Amino acid sequence: MDVRAQISMVFHLDKCIGCHTCSIACKNIWTDRKGAEYMWWNNVETKPGTGYPTKWEDQEIYKGGWEKKPGGNARLKGAGKLRGLLNIFHNPHLPVIDDYYEPFTYKYLDLIESPAGDDQPTARPVSLITGKPMDIKMGPNWDDDLSGTPDYARQDPNLKDLSPAEQEAMFQLERMAFFYLPRICNHCLNPACVASCPSGAIYKRGEDGVVLINQKVCRAWRMCVTACPYKKSYFNWGTGKSEKCILCYPRLEAGYAPACMHSCVGRIRYLGVMLYDADSISEVVNNIEKDVDLVNQQLGMLLDPFSESVIKAAKENGISDSTLKAAQDSPVYKFVKEWGLALPLHPEFRTLPMLFYVPPLLPVMASLSAADHGEQAKKMDPAAKFWNDGWLYNTSTEELWGTIDQARFPLKYLASMFSAGDEEKIKAILKKLMAVRIYRRWKTVGDVNEEKAAAVLKDAGLTADTAEGIYYLTSLAKFDDRFVIPPAHREQAIEMLEFAGDTKGSVGFGFKEKPERGW
Amino acid sequence: MEWKAMKIRIVSLFFLAGVFYGAAVFGQSEGEKLFKQICVACHTIGQGKLIGPDLAGVQQRRSEDWLTRFIRSSQTVIQSGDPVATALFEEYNRIPMPDNNYSDDQIRAIISYIAENSPGGPGAAETGGISPAPGRPLSEAGEANIQAGKNLFEGRTRLNNGGPTCNSCHNVKNDALMGGGALAKDLTDAYSRLGEAGVKAIVGNPPFPAMKQAYQNRPLTETEVFDLTAFLQHADRVRDTQQAKNYRTQLLFSGLGGALVLLLLFGGFWTRSKRGSVNRKIYDRQIKTI
Repeated sequence: MDVRAQISMVFHLDKCIGCHTCSIACKNIWTDRKGAEYMWWNNVETKPGTGYPTKWEDQEIYKGGWEKKPGGNARLKGAGKLRGLLNIFHNPHLPVIDDYYEPFTYKYLDLIESPAGDDQPTARPVSLITGKPMDIKMGPNWDDDLSGTPDYARQDPNLKDLSPAEQEAMFQLERMAFFYLPRICNHCLNPACVASCPSGAIYKRGEDGVVLINQKVCRAWRMCVTACPYKKSYFNWGTGKSEKCILCYPRLEAGYAPACMHSCVGRIRYLGVMLYDADSISEVVNNIEKDVDLVNQQLGMLLDPFSESVIKAAKENGISDSTLKAAQDSPVYKFVKEWGLALPLHPEFRTLPMLFYVPPLLPVMASLSAADHGEQAKKMDPAAKFWNDGWLYNTSTEELWGTIDQARFPLKYLASMFSAGDEEKIKAILKKLMAVRIYRRWKTVGDVNEEKAAAVLKDAGLTADTAEGIYYLTSLAKFDDRFVIPPAHREQAIEMLEFAGDTKGSVGFGFKEKPERGW
Repeated sequence: MEWKAMKIRIVSLFFLAGVFYGAAVFGQSEGEKLFKQICVACHTIGQGKLIGPDLAGVQQRRSEDWLTRFIRSSQTVIQSGDPVATALFEEYNRIPMPDNNYSDDQIRAIISYIAENSPGGPGAAETGGISPAPGRPLSEAGEANIQAGKNLFEGRTRLNNGGPTCNSCHNVKNDALMGGGALAKDLTDAYSRLGEAGVKAIVGNPPFPAMKQAYQNRPLTETEVFDLTAFLQHADRVRDTQQAKNYRTQLLFSGLGGALVLLLLFGGFWTRSKRGSVNRKIYDRQIKTI
């Protein structure tokens, strides 16, 4: 057993409101500079939709991730030794700028500096790449909230497993629904970007598993851009180097949460340490034949930080006590392993992503029932406009799991995103989420009786304590509950490189000009 | 243990090297060594003209200073307008004598060697003059020798001591040969310019700096010299009926053809590549103002 530590994340999609605050926080800190204008290390997509870059999930276009033929080992789909060599001077599957979008700004100064004239001045859009006026054709969240549109929602690669009838049902006006999918680099355990780099510039940090690109070693082959199935490695046209999400490691080392997580207004993001068995990576990636089994196998690699044998093996590998403590307190461990609520995004790419998603329960399926709103009308001002259309949008249900079975999203759609097609897995999670909701409804509102609450918990396989735990971490959790960041022990890293005693006696403050009566 | 054995080996190696060096150095004088290495390719002492003049008694005809300057760089003396030097240059078919970067002592040693072996000198009676070893006369050469020489010249047969092939620097106009290099003189008419003795002397003991360097530790054998001379004689004899090679158009067309083949090959590799943007259909529909 080769125990290693990985900083891992959980995004709770039920709580995401699609406000893009995370994207802006990331942009302001990391990618607001020449050559990086088009990059969004963190982006938020509307699902169903085509995402950013367009159709990134369709690996027949971009050739990302690993592919496994029966009986053989997993191989990179679009890179590798021979393929890399054949295409080394021209990588044929690269996304072009139009697959992302051409970044733009507006000539705001024209609004206030234009001479007086007959017309209002306008701020024309200009390209951030050429600096010339342009037509805006696309943006990084161009399909925001556009569920049902033929160009975006209906082109979603995840729909390919759904029958035409199912797809049609999904986009009927009354059933139309969507949710948001925030994405950052998954800091995978089996990263395709690392495997594809001909220069060996990409590496996974030993102490916390953050995947980084060494800017001095990168030689602009751009194999990582195609190899990453999540399209989270970007080419900077200004510096001629590739860049990607660094999980705000300078912030992590100082004990802060990454900027996207810190700024999240929905508090959907959780971060913590996970322990995993590095020996089993090759076994899982190369020997598991069916994609459906990958999720269980990946979750099986994640180790119990309370187990004596794991702790012993971890200490032998040099994992410090503080990191082990953080692993035991990790909210990610609770969501992923203890409660089994979170799943990786597209496990079939076989990169073993370490960012997990709690699938969305929303939208709740509602039924329409007859109701008389006449009483209510009397309370309103006579001038107020009022339709007594006689129906009620009713979200309560008689059957326990009626809403899940009749969910507006076919479970197949969620399954193709989070469990490589295993609908039962999605259903089990949605049941748990629903059970906690019904249980809390009995507690706080009281319109559900105790028997029903106990029955749903039992049916979903939860106890009252677990339900309280899930409720706490979902709805009440404080900053320190959501982000359990282990000390980075930079002092040890620094001592490996230089003698810290050299700086003794040279700290404190000094003078720009020599003091007159000084030494 | 091992170091001891090593030490014995190293010491004996040095000892042997010393013995051979001594034999080589002390067996002949400095002047004799230099003359036989360099001068004898073109000059005799008391045996008549070769490529350059007979040097018998030259120490009496010219001053030591003039000889020193001429040996060191004959072209410099000729260009300085020296009438004797210019006349000699014209007389001997304008074949420049290569420069020799020797010290005054070395040149003095050569001159005294010439004096010793000139008629009336102490060595002359003994040696009867100095000339290159005559070897087999070229009249004995047959078709087999010409063929062997051709193979040597073109590099089909490797030179025995590993020296570089002639046609890497020289060209000879001959239909049976592929074109040679343009780095050094064209040898088509070398035989009529230099004669049998000259060609043999230069091939066997090259005096020109680049050639000297190239063949210093890899001299040609006597048979090789004979065969090559036979071939050059043959090439000279038939030169008027041969065609000069022109590689330029040939190279251009083969280059273009190669590029075409490569393009087709790459086209095969990239047939399944991603062309343009995934969003092209959407963009094409959008209203454009620019």
